[in-house]
Amino acid sequence: MKAIITVLVGLAFGWILIEAQAFSWYRIQEMFHFRSFHMFGVLFSAIATGAIAVYLIKKFKIKNIEGQVIEIKPKQLNLSSNVFGGIIFGLGWSIAGACTAPVYILTGLHWPIGIVLLIGAILGTVLFALFNQLTTKK
Amino acid sequence: MKEPLAWYIAGPLIGLVIPVLLILRGKQFGISSTYRFWGSYVLPRLSYFDYSRKSDLWQVQLTIGIFLSGILTGFFGQEVKLDEVTSKLHYEKVALTIYESKNWIQFLFGGILIGFGSRYANGCTAGHCIMGVSQLSLSSMIVTICFFVGGLLGSQFIIPLIF
Repeated sequence: MKAIITVLVGLAFGWILIEAQAFSWYRIQEMFHFRSFHMFGVLFSAIATGAIAVYLIKKFKIKNIEGQVIEIKPKQLNLSSNVFGGIIFGLGWSIAGACTAPVYILTGLHWPIGIVLLIGAILGTVLFALFNQLTTKK
Repeated sequence: MKEPLAWYIAGPLIGLVIPVLLILRGKQFGISSTYRFWGSYVLPRLSYFDYSRKSDLWQVQLTIGIFLSGILTGFFGQEVKLDEVTSKLHYEKVALTIYESKNWIQFLFGGILIGFGSRYANGCTAGHCIMGVSQLSLSSMIVTICFFVGGLLGSQFIIPLIF
């Protein structure tokens, strides 16, 4: 049941991204050339809505459906990986004109190119795992 | 190209995914951990992939839904793509045929950067930009700025070279 609900949330989320054209290569380039406010508006209003929700959940100690108080933790700061990973991701975001959720949309919508993109993303993760293996060894 | 759903409707709906997932699953919104999930089947012996895959199963379910939204739009929806060039901008011309198979090398390369970068930065536009910045987390704000630095460089300087 939980799984089905989660799939439905994903379906709704994907549908909004499609309607907002957030998966579109053209809209992403338009954003990075500052030719339209649309994508910035989507991103900022999503963050503002999320921030209000996080604030209310924390303030009123709202519980999840299982009755536990919801805990919200920030991701740990790690300056070099945050900066370099962030820039590398940004390059990929602009070249493919898609971030991580739109990769899955394109996989369903524009195959074969979308499948190539998803394979690339998984390959990139494997390369990161190799890089991680090499750099964390003493 | 038809007009997109207005940002002031789409953005808040996307933001609502955060409380929905927290309340229904007790999970913090994110997408890119699914790449780790699938990568762990490719080379399971690497230490980065030696983790409890089950903890990311909910996110795989979420992305199955996202994938289905693409499939359903492909079958029943209108195709959203640029159909005429209105300016002399390079990217507009490229956008006309962007999803054609001839661009597979660029998409593979872009995908590799997306996968590598999102795992290196420990999150993507969902986990850092939306979920992280919503918590006013410092790491997520730094990452978000870097996403845009990389994106601007890629869009303005690399795309004219490779497309």
